[in-house]
Amino acid sequence: MISPLYPFPAVIGQEDLKKALILCAINPLIGGVLIRGEKGTAKSTAARGLSELLPEIVTVKGCPNGCDPMGPLCPQCLARLKELALDNSGSSLATINNSPSLESVKRRAPFLTLPLSATEDRVAGGLDLSEALASGRRRVTPGLLAQAHRGILYIDEVNLLDDHIVDLVLDAAASGVNRLEREGLSLSHPANFLLVGTMNPEEGELRPQFLDRFGLSVAITSEDNVDLRVELMLRREAFDASPISFRKLYQKEVDSLKERLYKASRFLPKVKVPSSVRRFASQLASEHNTAGHRADLTLERAALALAAWKGLEAVGEAEVIEVSPMVLAHRQREAVPPPPPPPPAPEEPEEPEEPEKQEDPKDPEKPQDQENQDNQEDQKDPENQKDQKESQPEDLNQPPEPQDPNQNPPEPGEAPETVFEIGSTFRVVPIRSPFDRIRRRGSGRRSRSRVSQKQGRYVKSGPDQGRGDLAVDATIRAAAPYQLSREKPPGLALVVQPSDFREAVREKKMGNYLFFTVDASGSMGARGRMAASKGAIMSLLLDAYQKRDQVALISFRRDQAQVNLPLTASIDLAGKLLSELPVGGRTPLSSGLALTYREVRNSLSKNPLARPIVIIITDGRGNVSLAPEAKPFEEALKLAKAMTWEKRVKYIVVDTEETGAVTFGLARRLAESLSAVYFKTETLESKTLVDLVKNDELF
Amino acid sequence: MFNKTAVYPFAAIVGQDKLKLALILNIINPTLSGVLIRGEKGTAKSTAVRALADILPQIEVIEGDPFGLAPEEVDLYAELCQALGRESVGQPVFGLRKVKVVELPVGATEDRVVGSMDLERALKTGDKRVEPGLLAQAHRGILYVDEVNLLDDHVVDVLLDSAAMGVNTLEREGVSFSHPARFTLVGTMNPEEGELRPQLLDRFGLCVNIGGLTDLEQRVAILERRASFEQNPESFTVAYAQESSQIAERIGKARELVGRVEIDRDRLYRIARFSLELGVDGHRGDIIILKAAKTLAAWHGRSKVEDSDIEAAAELALPHRVRRQPLMEISDNLEAVRRAGQRAKAPQSSS
Repeated sequence: MISPLYPFPAVIGQEDLKKALILCAINPLIGGVLIRGEKGTAKSTAARGLSELLPEIVTVKGCPNGCDPMGPLCPQCLARLKELALDNSGSSLATINNSPSLESVKRRAPFLTLPLSATEDRVAGGLDLSEALASGRRRVTPGLLAQAHRGILYIDEVNLLDDHIVDLVLDAAASGVNRLEREGLSLSHPANFLLVGTMNPEEGELRPQFLDRFGLSVAITSEDNVDLRVELMLRREAFDASPISFRKLYQKEVDSLKERLYKASRFLPKVKVPSSVRRFASQLASEHNTAGHRADLTLERAALALAAWKGLEAVGEAEVIEVSPMVLAHRQREAVPPPPPPPPAPEEPEEPEEPEKQEDPKDPEKPQDQENQDNQEDQKDPENQKDQKESQPEDLNQPPEPQDPNQNPPEPGEAPETVFEIGSTFRVVPIRSPFDRIRRRGSGRRSRSRVSQKQGRYVKSGPDQGRGDLAVDATIRAAAPYQLSREKPPGLALVVQPSDFREAVREKKMGNYLFFTVDASGSMGARGRMAASKGAIMSLLLDAYQKRDQVALISFRRDQAQVNLPLTASIDLAGKLLSELPVGGRTPLSSGLALTYREVRNSLSKNPLARPIVIIITDGRGNVSLAPEAKPFEEALKLAKAMTWEKRVKYIVVDTEETGAVTFGLARRLAESLSAVYFKTETLESKTLVDLVKNDELF
Repeated sequence: MFNKTAVYPFAAIVGQDKLKLALILNIINPTLSGVLIRGEKGTAKSTAVRALADILPQIEVIEGDPFGLAPEEVDLYAELCQALGRESVGQPVFGLRKVKVVELPVGATEDRVVGSMDLERALKTGDKRVEPGLLAQAHRGILYVDEVNLLDDHVVDVLLDSAAMGVNTLEREGVSFSHPARFTLVGTMNPEEGELRPQLLDRFGLCVNIGGLTDLEQRVAILERRASFEQNPESFTVAYAQESSQIAERIGKARELVGRVEIDRDRLYRIARFSLELGVDGHRGDIIILKAAKTLAAWHGRSKVEDSDIEAAAELALPHRVRRQPLMEISDNLEAVRRAGQRAKAPQSSS
C-alpha cells in the first residue's frame, strides 16, 4: 500500500455511509454506492478504508480477468476449458462425464481506483505492446474494467469524470460485460463490479443514467456535535503524525469487522425473503415514484444484505425500511409537478424571504438553500454590505457604476428607482451549445467541443491529419505487430512508418460566452418580480460559474440600454453588479436588443468560433423605440428577426410575466421572432430527473 | 531550478508577515497541506515562494531516486525502479538534500503532470516504461502553481485527485502505475481573474490575502532593497545570509518541537466551536486549525498551545472555508472569522 489507509472503524459518525459500504461488500449485486457530500467529510477516507475489509473471492488460477470458476468465464478461460475437455476425452473415456474444471485460487477482492486522468485504452483494455513487438501477435492487456471484475471500482470526484469514460463504465456496469473493439482487437469479457463514487454536488451533478447505476446513495454532512468533532480532530492528527502506529491501535477492530463481513457474505444465500416483504418493498418503491424497476430489486438486495449482517434468517419489513432511504433518495421523482411558486404577496413586494420559505420544504435536499439563506442573512447585515461596497473600488476593471441616481434624476411621473435583493436561487436546466466537429480553443465545462490545441483530454486516436499532435502510444501500438517483418537499423527496436502515425483526438468542455440582457424597467419591479428575476439570473450565474463561462451583463431601462459588465470570466463581479442593479423607468426593449447584438458581434469578431448564448430576461413590454415614430414592440420584433441572421448565436428568452388572469404573452412573441428557446421564470428550474433528460434533448 | 539563478533572500522581503508566516508554518509541518496566496499583482507573491529555497530544511532521500522517497517508504523503491526500467541498484543509499520547490506552469499538459510512457525507451528497446511527471518530483516537496485559478480544468482535477490521498495513480497510454505524491501545494492567484473551485480551495490548508503595503516607508524600503539586489545579487544575498540562517535555524528547532506540542481539551473544544459558529463545510478546517496552532506554538518555541495560537491559526485556516455562495468575496470573511472567534471564546457549559 503506497499510502497507509485510515482504518475504517476509526471513522467517526457517518453511520449511513459506513452501513452502505458494508452492505455492498456483503452483497455485490447491490451495484455500488454514491457518496454525496460537502468537502472534508471523510467520503474518500471511508471508501478507501473499505478496500482492506473485502472478503476473499475464489478465482480461476492465472486468469487476468479474475473469473469466477462457476462462471461466467472470459474467452481465455473458455479456451482453457476447451483444451482441458479435449485432453480429457483423449486420455480416458471413463471420465467423460466428469466435466473438467479449472484450477482455482483464493485472493482478496480487487479494489481499483479509476483516476480522472485515465485514458480509454487503460479503462477498457488495449493492445499488449511487448507481446506485439516480440511475437507480432495482437493480445489484450486487461483494462481497469477487467481488473475490477468481482471487486470494487472506485472513482473519486465521479462527477468530474469525462463523458466518454463514463460511457465505457456505464456500458460495462449495465451489461456486466466489457466489449472491446479497438486497435484491431475484438474481445468481450465479464465485468461485474461495484461502483463506488464520491462527489461534491457543488461541482455539478451526475448524468441521470449514471446516477441510476449506483445501487445506494448516501448524502453526508459534517458532524455538528462538538465532542465528536474534537475526537475526530484528535484521531486525524494522530493518524497524520504516525499512520503506522495509529493503524496498530485499530488492527483488532479491523480484523473483527472483516471477520463479521466475511461471515455475513457466507450467510447471505441462506437468508430468505418472505413474499409479503417483497410486496412491501415493491409498494414502497412505487409509492416513491421511482423510475424503472431497479429500485425494487436494489431494495430487496440491500435488505437481504442487512439481514445477513444482523444474522437474521429472514428479511423483515424493518430491514426494508432501514435501507430504503439509501435506495430511493436518488431515484425518486416527484409524483405531480409541484405547483408553480405562488406569486409574492402584493403588499410586500420587496420581501425576499417570501419565495424562500415556500421553497424550503419542497426540496429539503437542495444544498444551495442553506448557502442561500446564509447569503441573504449576510446581505442584510449592514456591516457586511458596507464591506462589499468598500472593497469595490479596488477592482480595476470596474465598469462604470450602474447606480447613478444623482446624475440622472428620475423622470417625473415615473416610479422611483429601487434596488431589489436577489430572490431565491435554484438549479437551472442544462443550457449548452450543440456538439459539432469544429475544433476550438478555450476551456470551461459547458459545451463539449473538439479542441485544436495540444490540450484537453486525450480521448482517442485517429488517422494522422498532419496537425502534429501525435498519439505516441497509439502509433507504437499500430506499428508493433509489423516489427518482425520490418528491417531495423541497429540500436532501434521499433521502426515506425508514416502509415502507422496516429493522431490524438482531444476533447474538452468549453465555457460559452453568456450575455445576460436584463430588463430593468419599472414594470419589472412590480410585485416583487425583480427579486424573483434576479434570483433566476443568479441561478444562471451560479451555473455559469460551475461551467466556467464568460459572462456579460447588459441592462435596459428608462430610454436606453447600457453595458454594465463587458465580457469577463469574473462571475463574482457579475453577481455583485446584479445585486446592485436598480429598477425603474420605461422599457427600451429595442435598444437593449440592439446593444446586445453589437456586443455579441464584437465577441464573435474576436473569436469567430465562439458560440455565444444570449439570455434575455424581460416581460416583453417594450414601450420606448429607437426610431422616434416607430411602434416600440413592433420595432423590437423586427430587430429580433434580423438578429437571427447570425447563426452562431443561441437565444434564450426568460419571460418574467406572471401567470395570471391577464397575460400579454409579449415575451413569447419576442422569443418566436428570435427563434429562441422560451422559458418562464418558473420553468427554468430543473426539478426532476425526468426534466433533466427531457431538457437535455431540447438542445 | 531556483537556486541556479540568484534568488531574492527570504529575509529581505519587506512586510507581508502573514504570507511569510503561512509559508514557514508549512515548512515546519508539511501535513498542513499548503497555502493559497490571494492578492493583486506585484505584491511579492512569487518572490516569497521562490525565496523559500533559502530557508528550506534538508530531508533524507535515496540517492538518484526521482521519486524522493522517504526512508520509511524504502520498500517501494525496487518496485518503482522496475517501472522506470532501471536495474535495481541493490541496497539504496541515503543522502541529504534540500526540500524541492517544483513549479507547475499554467500551460502544463496532463501527461507532464501525472507522468506518461517513456517514449525514448519505447522506440529504442520496445519496452513500456514510465516517465515520471511533476507530481513525482514534488513528493515531499513543494508544488508551486502560479496563477492557480487559470490552470486548465482537467489539470486541476488531476491535482485534486492526488492532493486528496497523497498518491498519484497513472492509468493512461498503456501504462498502469502509482507512486506516492504528498506535496505542499502553494498557489498564487489574483481574484480579479476569477475564483477557484471550492473543491480545490478546500485542499489548501491555509489562505492569505495580501495587498500592497500602504506604509510609505515600507514602500521605499522595498524599492531600495530591490534596486540593490538587482545591482549586485550576490553581495545582497550575503548581507542577508545571517538573517536567513537564523530563520532556517528557528525552523529547524520548531520542526523538532512540533511533535511534542500539547493542547488542552478545553482549547480543542474551542476549535470545534469556532468552525461550528462559522458554518464551515466538513472537518478539514478543524484539523488544520489544530495542526496550525500546534505549529505556531512550536515556531514560538512553546510546547503548549495558547489561545492566541488558535486565533492566529483560525485566521489562516478559515477564511476560504466559510460556507458561502460562490459569488461572495473571500476577503469579506476575515471579519466573520474574528467575530466567530469571540463567540467561541465564551465558555459553554453544555459540552
